[in-house]
Amino acid sequence: MTTTAQRPSADDPRVLLDQQLGVFEPVPPYPPRTEREAEFYSLGDGEMFINMGPQHPSTHGVLRVVLKLNGEEVVDLDPVLGYLHRGVEKLCENADYHQVISQVDPLEYVSSLFCEWSPVMAFEKLLDVEVPRRAEYIRVLAAELNRIASHSLFMGWMALDLGGLTPILWSFIERDEIVEMLASLTGQRMLFNYFRIGGVNGDLNHEFMSRLGDWMTRATEQIEANLALLNENEIFVRRMRGLGVLDRETALRMCVTGPNLRATGVPFDIRRAHPYSIYPELDFDIPTRSEGDCLARYLLRMDEIRQSLRIIDQCLNRMPDGPVMAKLPRLLRPRPGRAYAGIEGPRGQYATYAISDGTDQPFRMRIHDPSFIHLQCVGLLTPGNLVADTMAIMASLDPIMGGVDK
Amino acid sequence: MDRQFKRRLEARFGPRLTGPVRQRHDQTEIRIAAADVADTLRTLHDDPEFRFEVLADLCGVDTGTHMQVVYHLWSDTTSDWLRVIADGLSRDDPRVPSATFLWPGAEWMEREGYDMFGITFEGNRDLRRIYMPPDYTSFPLRKDFFLPDDAARSPGGGVRHMEQTHTPRNATSPELVRRTRA
Repeated sequence: MTTTAQRPSADDPRVLLDQQLGVFEPVPPYPPRTEREAEFYSLGDGEMFINMGPQHPSTHGVLRVVLKLNGEEVVDLDPVLGYLHRGVEKLCENADYHQVISQVDPLEYVSSLFCEWSPVMAFEKLLDVEVPRRAEYIRVLAAELNRIASHSLFMGWMALDLGGLTPILWSFIERDEIVEMLASLTGQRMLFNYFRIGGVNGDLNHEFMSRLGDWMTRATEQIEANLALLNENEIFVRRMRGLGVLDRETALRMCVTGPNLRATGVPFDIRRAHPYSIYPELDFDIPTRSEGDCLARYLLRMDEIRQSLRIIDQCLNRMPDGPVMAKLPRLLRPRPGRAYAGIEGPRGQYATYAISDGTDQPFRMRIHDPSFIHLQCVGLLTPGNLVADTMAIMASLDPIMGGVDK
Repeated sequence: MDRQFKRRLEARFGPRLTGPVRQRHDQTEIRIAAADVADTLRTLHDDPEFRFEVLADLCGVDTGTHMQVVYHLWSDTTSDWLRVIADGLSRDDPRVPSATFLWPGAEWMEREGYDMFGITFEGNRDLRRIYMPPDYTSFPLRKDFFLPDDAARSPGGGVRHMEQTHTPRNATSPELVRRTRA
């Protein structure tokens, strides 16, 4: 055995002290390229930068936010995106029209069916395909279940970001039941891959119907019990009331849609404003609140859960018979053209702009995600509040980074 | 399909349109030149006859021969979505006025248009890359940017090895660029 000098082991913490920590600097190493960058990255008196890094329990995914703080108060913030960018739009240009459905599933992974519905609707417009009525009813049924699951998760996340550790577990119990139901229908718990161009991939089955019937009898009390945990909680309400107030005009100018917009008083819901599928035949209300603060956004989503239950009930009662898929050739070649399909997802308007050039691959698949737009509002609403309120505001806007980064 | 709406658009924007007003399903489409974007959007937003207060989407398109910027708008005055296509941007230096003077929420959508296509939105205060790292040199959604994707039937499929860099400078041939009359 020779006695050579040993290199320090990789586990030795002293190794880290020699390395430059420049890679963790929140300020970028190049001079500012734009007006806004220059304005943001210049420090005033007593201000400092803190990096709310991509690896963070409260950023709803991999999001990096550079906070400019004056003590505990946030002066400004700059979200840095792209940590989850997968190039879905580019990949869809190389994929078949059918393969696109698998590609877009993981965008807003919590509400996958809406991510599928929008491109499928756009392709159906390109192909001039009419979807059978039974398929439309099943789509609405499954999608509204997914909406309830998404809003339940929002409830848990909202509380988790404020520090409450129980509601997230309760909301996962709630979500688990719904997701197991959808698994018996679609075969998958999360990235469903269920909608097809011209219908859905498989009719309702006995297991799904029995689970659904079972759940529907308990659903209302269960949801009310979950809400009672939070709605009357003094800490929750006092932290959220009056925080991050978004007013009507600002919301419209910031292109906000969905529950965030309805919480400011604008009753804009695409299911009523620009109806699609069988929503014109269904009877449901559009809950609206006028305060525009975090509490209003939270309570509005809970109201929406109740409306979704109404819709599911009506779908079950009125389910027509018939096929669940339109007859389409296996190789889809729509004639050249453009189609836009916007739907009301749990977060807002989820839209697809598809351009066809006559081949069997889309020429351009533009995906418009609501979370992407809403993250801009975080920079608008947070200044003046404390660091802990950043999380509350971000959670109340309900972003999903998979959709933000595409 | 709102025929009345088509007539109203032709009456108001007639000379500015660079193509016919097309309607299909529940969408109406108008084409304008890039320079007219600011006026057209402002008219559509402010005019009480149109009241297009909701900007539903803003995106770039590379048709292979030139670039476009496409706006989707919604109003309660019509049952259709309105698509405004700012057509004819050159592929070398695509420039278009920014919509952020009307809708500050368009800022990030324009950043994405810059990041993915290289389209410069004049008047956007924060036109830097949003998805790609700040030192990235290519514009990924352009048609001359090829993915080294052997499994797909893309023009670049099987042409380049996975480890090779894929910038427009390395594009093998202009004939491989996919084009359409979008």
